[in-house]
Parts: sequence; C-alpha cells; structure tokens
Amino acid sequence: MTMSEVKVIVRRNRPGTKGAEFCKWPEEPFEEMDSTLAVQQWIQQTIRRDPSNITAILTPPETQDEEVWKYEHLRQFCMELNGLAVKLQSECFPETCNQMTATEQWIFLCAAHKSPKECPAIDYTRHTLDGAACLLNSNKYFPSRVSIRESSLGKLGSVCRRVYRIFSHAYFHHKTLFDDFEASSHLCRRFTSFVMKYNLMSRDNLIVPNMEDGATDAPPAVTETASTPTTTTTTTKVTPVTGNTTESEA
Amino acid sequence: MRYPGNEEGGTAGSAGGTGNGPGGNKEDSKPRYSIPGILHFIQHEWARFEMERASWELERAELQARIAFLQGERKGQENLKNDLVRRIKMLEYALKQERAKYHKLKFGTDPSNELGKPPDLEPEPPELQTAAGSDEPISSQVSWRQGRQLLRQYLQEIGYTDTIIDVRSNRVRSLLGLEAPEQQAQQENGGSNSENKRPVAEQPRRVPKKSLAEAMMMEAESAVMANFDFLSGGMDVDDDDDMADDLDDVDDDIKQSKRKSRGIADEVDAETEEVLNEFSFLGAEEASAADKTDEWSYSGARADDVSLGELAQLTVNNDADMNMDVTLDKEAFRKTWMAKYTLRSHFDSVRALAFHPVEPVLITASEDHTLKMWNLQKTVSAKKNASLDVEPLYTFRQHSGPVMCLVMSSSGEHVYSASLDGTINAWKVPDCNIDPYDSYDPSILVRTMNDHTDAVHGLSLHSQKSHLLSCSADGTVRLWDPTSKSPLIDTFSSPNDGIPTAVDFVRDEPSHMAVAYNSQVVIYDLESKKQIVRFECDSIGAVNRVVCHPTLSLTVTAHDDRHIRFWDNSTGKMLHAMVAHLDAVTSLALDPHGLYLLSGSHDCSVRVWNVESKQCLQEMTAHRKKFDEAIHDVAFHPSKPFIASAGADGLAKVYV
Ligand SMILES: [Zn+2]
Ligand SMILES: [Zn+2]
Repeated sequence: MTMSEVKVIVRRNRPGTKGAEFCKWPEEPFEEMDSTLAVQQWIQQTIRRDPSNITAILTPPETQDEEVWKYEHLRQFCMELNGLAVKLQSECFPETCNQMTATEQWIFLCAAHKSPKECPAIDYTRHTLDGAACLLNSNKYFPSRVSIRESSLGKLGSVCRRVYRIFSHAYFHHKTLFDDFEASSHLCRRFTSFVMKYNLMSRDNLIVPNMEDGATDAPPAVTETASTPTTTTTTTKVTPVTGNTTESEA
Repeated sequence: MRYPGNEEGGTAGSAGGTGNGPGGNKEDSKPRYSIPGILHFIQHEWARFEMERASWELERAELQARIAFLQGERKGQENLKNDLVRRIKMLEYALKQERAKYHKLKFGTDPSNELGKPPDLEPEPPELQTAAGSDEPISSQVSWRQGRQLLRQYLQEIGYTDTIIDVRSNRVRSLLGLEAPEQQAQQENGGSNSENKRPVAEQPRRVPKKSLAEAMMMEAESAVMANFDFLSGGMDVDDDDDMADDLDDVDDDIKQSKRKSRGIADEVDAETEEVLNEFSFLGAEEASAADKTDEWSYSGARADDVSLGELAQLTVNNDADMNMDVTLDKEAFRKTWMAKYTLRSHFDSVRALAFHPVEPVLITASEDHTLKMWNLQKTVSAKKNASLDVEPLYTFRQHSGPVMCLVMSSSGEHVYSASLDGTINAWKVPDCNIDPYDSYDPSILVRTMNDHTDAVHGLSLHSQKSHLLSCSADGTVRLWDPTSKSPLIDTFSSPNDGIPTAVDFVRDEPSHMAVAYNSQVVIYDLESKKQIVRFECDSIGAVNRVVCHPTLSLTVTAHDDRHIRFWDNSTGKMLHAMVAHLDAVTSLALDPHGLYLLSGSHDCSVRVWNVESKQCLQEMTAHRKKFDEAIHDVAFHPSKPFIASAGADGLAKVYV
C-alpha cells in the first residue's frame, strides 16, 4: 500500500540464501514495523537473537495490546511444537504409547474428534497441533491478528492446556528426545514462563519439573512420577474434555 | 463454556489480573488504538469494500446486460414495425396505381394470374389463401380508397402483422438459438460470471495458440474472445510491438465473425423475401418487382445496422439483441479472477504451493515447517465475505526447517518438498477425502533425500519421467530419480556462476534444464552436462524464478529488479523485457497451454499476463507483508479454473 517508503535494508530471504543466513537481517525496531504482522515479526526476531533469553522474548513492546501478544506467542509455540512432534513421530508409536499420558494418573482424551477419543500419544500430538492450528487461524474466532475478540480469549487457555500435554508426554516418556529438543529450543521453559506470566494454566497442571524461571539452569531432574500434585485416589482419571475443537470450529 | 470452573476462573483472573498493562479489560482496550491496528482495520475495511464493490459491479454488469438485451429487443421490434409500415405504404401505393389503371381502362385484368402464385410460393400461412380468396371480388369493384381501407382491415382482421412478427421473431430466435449456447458459454468465459465453472475450465484449453492462427480460424469466436480478453485487459504496462500483431489477429477474427454474421443476414433477407412474396400477389407485377429490389436493399441495410453495425464494433456476437450488452459492458467479457478461498492454517509464511493435476486439491508448504493439503470442496462456511475458508485435510510433518518449495507429480500421487535444512522429502499424497484427524500413517513419507548440504530453494519435476531437479544454496543442482534405490543421479555445479537460485526442466527439450544463477541463466544438457546456451544478459537483476514454456522454445524469468524477461532457448536472445511489478518479482507460473502467465511479487500483488501479447490482464492485491516479503509463489491448476497465491502472511488464496 505504501510504496513510497524508502528502505535501505530489505529484509528478505532471496532464493539462494544459505540456511545460516536465513532471516539474518538487521533487527527492525518495533516502532518501525508497520505490518499487521508486527507482533509476530517482533517475537520471531527476539527468539532469533537468543532463544534462551526467555525474559526478553516474553517482554512485550511498551504499547502492545496484551491479548494480541498472548495470541501471537501461542501461535509461535504451536508452530515450534511441530519440531517436537516431528521428533516424536520417530519414537512415539501407538504400540508403545497407546494412550496420551504423562504421569500415570491421567489419560488425556483427544478433543479433536466429534466425540473425544482415546487417541494414541502420537495421534493426540498431531491432532492437537492440527486442531490448534485450525482454531488459532479460524476466521470465526480469530479473524484479526491485531485485535482479539473478548469471547475468543478463553480459547487461548484451552489450547495452552492441551499443547502442554505434548511437553509432558515427551518429558515423561521420551526423556532423551525431550532434553534434546529443549536444549536447542528452550521451548518448554518458555512455555511454562508464558502460561504462568499470563495465568493461562493453573500451576498444578504444570507437571514438567524445573521449568519455572527460578530454576532456570538446573539440569532437568529424573522422572519423578511421585511428585505429581494430583489428589485423585484412582489411578486413572479421564480428564474432562474441555472444548472440543471440531465442535467449536463448526 | 465447556471449561471446568476453576480453569475458567483462572482465565478470567488473567484478564483481570493483567490490568497493570496498558489496559486490563475490554472497556479500556476499546480506545487503545495502535497504528498497525488502525492500518489493519483500514486494510480490512478496504478489502471488504473492494470485495463488495466487485460483487456490485458484477451485479450491475448483469443488470446492464439485461437492460441492453431488452433494449435490443425493443429496437428490433421497432425496426420490424417500421419495416412493415413501409411495406404497407408501398403496397398501398401499388394498389393505388393499379386502381388508377383500372379506372383508365374500365376493364379488369384477370387477378387469378397473380393470385395463383402466392400459394405455390408460400404454402405456409393458411390465412394467406383465404385472404387471397376474399380479395378476389374486392379487386374488381371498389375504388382505391376502399381498397386501402380494406387492406388495412384485412391486415387487422387476420392479424397478419402479428403473425409476421411472431414468425419472424421466432425465426430470428431459432437462428440465434443455434448460436446462443456457444455465446452464452463465451460470455461466461470472458465475463466475470463465476456461476458456471465448466466453460471457464475449458477456456484455456479451447483458446488455440495465437501463433497457429489457422487453427484459430476454426474457433473464430472463442479466439475473438481470447483476444478480446487481453484487449480490454487492465494495465497497459509495457509498450511492445507484439501488440500490433495481436491487433491484426483480432482484425482477422473480426472478418471471420462478419462473414458469419453475413450468413445470418442473408438468411434474414431470405425471410424478408418470403414475406415480400406473400405480399406480392396484391401488387402489380412491375410494382412488386420494384418493391423487391427496394426491399432487398432495405432489408440488407436493416440487417446491417442491427447486426453488422454492432458487430463491426464488437466482433463478438452475431445478433443485434445480444450485441447490445457487449457495447455497454466490454469489461464483462474479460475473465476476471476473483479470490474465492482463503487457506488459513499455517503459522508462518507460505513458501510454495502446488495443485493436484485433476482434483480441486492443493498442497501448501510453509516456513512453519509443515505442508498442508486442502480440498477446495470442503469449505467451512460462507461468511459475509465472498471468500470461503477451507480447513486443511492433512498436515505433513517431517521437515525440521522452513519448507521452501514443493512440486506435485503429474499423476497426483506424490509430492516433493524441500527445506531450508537441505532435505528433500518425497510424500505420498493422501486420499483427498481423508479424515483430517485420522491416525498417523508413517508411510505417507516415502523417503528423505539429504544429499544437499544447504538450503534447497527450487525443485522441478520432469513432465513424463519421475526425474526431479533441485537447486541448493550449497552451489549444486542435483538430478534425482526418487523412485530408484539410490535416487541421486547427478550433481551439477558451476563455481564461476555461484549459487543457483532457480531451476526448471526445459519442457520442449526435456533432456535440458534451465538454471538461474544470481544474474545468469544457462541451459545445460543433462546427459552431457554441457552448457547449451547462456542467455545474453548484461546487468539484469537477480533471477528469482525460471519457468520454461510447455511447448515453445521459450523461457520466462522473474527478477529482483521488478522485471519479467522472455528468452529464446535456442539463441539465448532476450525476446522481451518488461517492468512487471512495483517490487521484486518472486514467482511465475504458466498455464498448461502456455497462454497465460501468472506472476507474484513482494509488492503484494498477483498479475495475470497474456504470454503472446505480454499484456497484463488482471492484477490482484492478495497478501500482506511480513518484513519485506509478500508473495512467495503462484500456481495454475493443471486442469481446473483455479489459480493460487502463497503469502508471507501465512495465507494461501485460491481464485476462480
Ligand atoms: Zn510416546
Ligand atoms: Zn485424536
């Protein structure tokens, strides 16, 4: 639209760009980002600078609308969780993980189906990410990326709860894989800080240990199944399925 | 609503608890405008208005066409009326003269001589015979005044005027009836009418190549349509000489149409002649002869100004009535692509897309590391906008970096994608009615080829063989046979030229490939690995995309310097260069017949070009910018009237 703008720096990945040079352009100050995708640009730019600097990544620019900020972060999380899903595809098989579990107390039902289903962990992972992609891109709930409808805000929390189970499954059942992924992405730590900062999940549900900001650099503890803060006496409890994605799409 | 109470509370708490921000609740957040927000709102509104305006214009065009049709009909009726009035006057005159003769001679000639004629000439209307019979006694007894009176009466009584009108208009209609379906189809082809998809689908196929002008003659009308298409096309960006040639072509076609319509005019004349003959029994021999010639020229003129007059201007239709709307609404004849489907589900820029060869299915590849398959028949809901949302049917996950490019096999069975991390994946295309939440099938991923050591930016698939070309930032172009055990067939590199940026098989000589380097384009022989021709180009902008024409020895390149250039593969000479966009041209696509070219640019727009004339037929503003990128890819459906664009805003759009 504004073709008159004179730019010295053109932030573009031309064909032929080496992988290492991808998006390696000078950072753009937030005030100068005139795109409707400014928040996404900003978040990605900060992550590229240093993915381990969670405080910086989660600190919004001064004038930023908080709902959009949360929404764009959640998009980014779901996008990066794809990396974990790809890793899980090579290790998490229906034969070994025929249910979505973290600790033994819970079996999570997959909300992507018309009636919630006990999907194997890998399907749960894929379905949840697919469902989240549809929901977060839904023209009905999130028609704009610069203002979020009040009525759609509740969706953010439910997406957070569901995708968190992917972290927890990986942590409790595919520890090496999880550590590997976490070491390069710092994603679970960032996610934990994010949901705590914005109260998107209750603390009780954050079952992957040592992910809170206070315990940043402590090596991840060994699997502590006993430390889960569930109060149930039954060994298996099915979580109430919260907001069926398919349904909410309709 | 379905959340457990405590969590609901948590969410609510978050909304309230974060009130220390610039605004914690919605009352506060209302007046908090941000520049991007306002811009977005304006853009959004603008897009909406544009969309509404487009649909209103469509409606207006339709109504205008209707008005024109009705006006044309009215005009036709008036002409007919004038015609008949004139005839009546002439007959009256003839009768008058006859009566005068009678009076002079005081002796009657035998009228049966003349009356005998009409029945064998024209057995059709029975009224004629009875009327003729009743005319017999009259003729011998009354004055011309009475005769005139009687004639009028006679015409009124038997309603012959109406009969003539009916017969004629039916005749005209049946004549048109022969033409009508075709014209209808063409109108929809050319027009912005999107209801009827079939004819539109056929348009690119039906329009013959301009270079084969003879073939075109066969389908003069559809060719005229095609020509017309670009003649009325929007932007006139370049000033090339080819335009003149095209105009010549059009002229030829006009002549064709004229000839055709002349045929109809002749038939119409025959018709008037019949009518004349019907009347001729009333008049004297010589008067009738005189009338006849008179009428002939008259009716010829009539046909001319009703049909040919319009045709001469418009060249499209043969019929007066149908012509009118063309006059009023030239633009309606242009095929106008309209954004119909929005494909939203990617979290980041869509880098590439490819259509299924036959199904209304496409696959997109994104910087969010995934590919998604979409079936355009599975839309979510038609919202207030004309645009429909489609939800993806399948998400391909395996790449661990942004997916940069993809191609689909001509059988529609496989899709190949390549990523920034240098891997190329071969995938099976899932069934296009797959349940999006089916269980994970690892066999969808057929194989991974990771010989490239750096980002792969371009792929090209051989039209017949299952050979694949890839170009990478590691400086190599590789040829693969993804079906073979060891898929890598060959590796090409040209250290002097540096990193290849784009690659394509030369379609009319499939053992050749065209490789673009920073600002060089070279055609190699794949077997001998020898350079065949190097395009002669000094100081051209970096090449972002290379596409080879499906049948001609022609290569089209998209450049960073906003140009699209056309090259002759055999000589390496540049045939044409044009500033095609306001910013870097990123992507090109040729339709399967090589008649139309699509280009996408970081100026946010997609343009449709006529390959022959190099005319821009349409421009569509399609995507929003992310950093300085806007559109990464464009595509034609190989067999259906769909085009698509892939945007840095994470959306893909499909136009019909
Ligand atoms: Zn598992
Ligand atoms: Zn499921």
